[in-house]
Amino acid sequence: MIRDITIGQYYPRDSFIHKLDPRTKIIGTFIYIISLFFFRKFIPYLVVFGFLGLVIKTSEVPLKHILKGLKSIMFLLIFAVVFNIFLTPGDILWKWGFLKVTRQGLETAGFMAIRLVLLIMGSSLMTFTTTPNHLTDGLEKIMNPLKKIKVPVHEISMMMSIALRFIPILLEETDKIMKAQMARGADFESGNLIKKAKSLVPLLVPLFVSAFRRANDLAMAMEARCYHGGEGRTKMKPLQYHKQDGIAYVILFGYLAVLVIVKLISPF
Amino acid sequence: MSITLDHVNYSYSVGSAYEKHALKDVNLTIKDGEFIGLIGHTGSGKSTLIQHLNGLMKATSGTIYYNGKDIYDNDFNMRELRNKVGLVFQYPEHQLFETTVIKDVSFGPKNQGLSQLEVDLHSYEALKQVGIEEDLIDCSPFELSGGQKRRVAIAGVLAMRPEVLILDEPTAGLDPAGRDEILDQISKLHKERNITVILVSHSMEDVAKYVDRIIVMNKGEVVYSDVPKKVFANYKVLETIGLAAPQVTYVMNGLREQGIMVDTNATTIHEAKEEILKWARREIIEG
Repeated sequence: MIRDITIGQYYPRDSFIHKLDPRTKIIGTFIYIISLFFFRKFIPYLVVFGFLGLVIKTSEVPLKHILKGLKSIMFLLIFAVVFNIFLTPGDILWKWGFLKVTRQGLETAGFMAIRLVLLIMGSSLMTFTTTPNHLTDGLEKIMNPLKKIKVPVHEISMMMSIALRFIPILLEETDKIMKAQMARGADFESGNLIKKAKSLVPLLVPLFVSAFRRANDLAMAMEARCYHGGEGRTKMKPLQYHKQDGIAYVILFGYLAVLVIVKLISPF
Repeated sequence: MSITLDHVNYSYSVGSAYEKHALKDVNLTIKDGEFIGLIGHTGSGKSTLIQHLNGLMKATSGTIYYNGKDIYDNDFNMRELRNKVGLVFQYPEHQLFETTVIKDVSFGPKNQGLSQLEVDLHSYEALKQVGIEEDLIDCSPFELSGGQKRRVAIAGVLAMRPEVLILDEPTAGLDPAGRDEILDQISKLHKERNITVILVSHSMEDVAKYVDRIIVMNKGEVVYSDVPKKVFANYKVLETIGLAAPQVTYVMNGLREQGIMVDTNATTIHEAKEEILKWARREIIEG
């Protein structure tokens, strides 16, 4: 049921990628995403594919699992591709009534599809290999310089980690309440739109109540343990760069260099 | 109204990294009018098992028969099954949602498609059965105390007049008085309406007094399924799977080890008292 949703859920393994410092992975993913957008040629994408394939291979996350995550953007992808193919002006290749396919349209749609797929695969790989706690730790550390201009970095990252932590809890709660109401004869599937929306009331009201109750309990528990923001707060396991992070950065810059060279010499 | 489970297996999240074999080859028969205690440590699969009994979860393999009919048959009416097998979840008060107590309790009967008159009748009766006073029925359920909320939620399932009533830890988080009250009310219902009751718990102490049969689960398997006395006789095995027999069992076994020849099968305080008195009389007459 609902608990089987896997988008971005941590996939426990003990690979090289899993053991990297979260900062390395965040910065790496960021650079990777930028690298997807700075050229409009097809051949360099082979380099990107190769690099991504290598990272997936070392991460030990099954490719099937990563492709499953793509299902959720299928609709968006098809939507974007179709609109780009038919609505981009340019040299007409094929025409039927008001529909026309242009060379530029095909090109844009192709780039769009490749970039979107690579983007989702790359960034979901980061969440597959990093626990939410590590992720927010890394973000906090990266954003640390912003404290100088009075950005509440610690609070933002705490909010993020709580929000992330609550996603599975609320999903489980939804599943439970749904089942409890189904046991009382509730029907969430049949009927028209209005009836379906109405049938959600017995699900949403208890869900909201429970979200507030949990938030309240959590705030109380944090205060009971003397939490008062990030001021003077130390960490049990402070983040530290290791040798493997150095290797990862070298590989990353190697990838960028190859990409730039291929971009410059490839004809299309 | 019997329920039969035939080689039922269930695994969570098949094919992912979180796959878990939660039920392993479960074979059970639950007879009409039985009062059963389903006992197991946290994560032993008891909650998973009961969700199979009204079709909320579908077994990965194996079959479940309700009155001899396979519930996984395509033409089996699952809605009908959920009307007949009432399931009260753990912390049922978390599912309350309506503006008044009576409206919340009526949710089940209304979904059954009854007339307004019948809906009201069943709902009022259910509230009475769980001991909710009439002056509370137009309150918001969120204004009630914890124990009252729990009883309103149980009434919500009772109002559907199930033939089989399953309760998942109905006393969790209640004080001893509230616990006894709820268990007594359930026991009364069982006697008066002769419905089948399955009581899920991790405490032997709670259920020993009420049930005809105890089913013990461990790691997804049924370990024992017998009358309480016979199950408690294996108290040493029960300890190894994180459970304990009632205190009385320990007292009686302790006495026996001290050379006081009492029957160790006593499960309630009352029975234990009778046993010890019986022994005392014997000793006095002999001595």
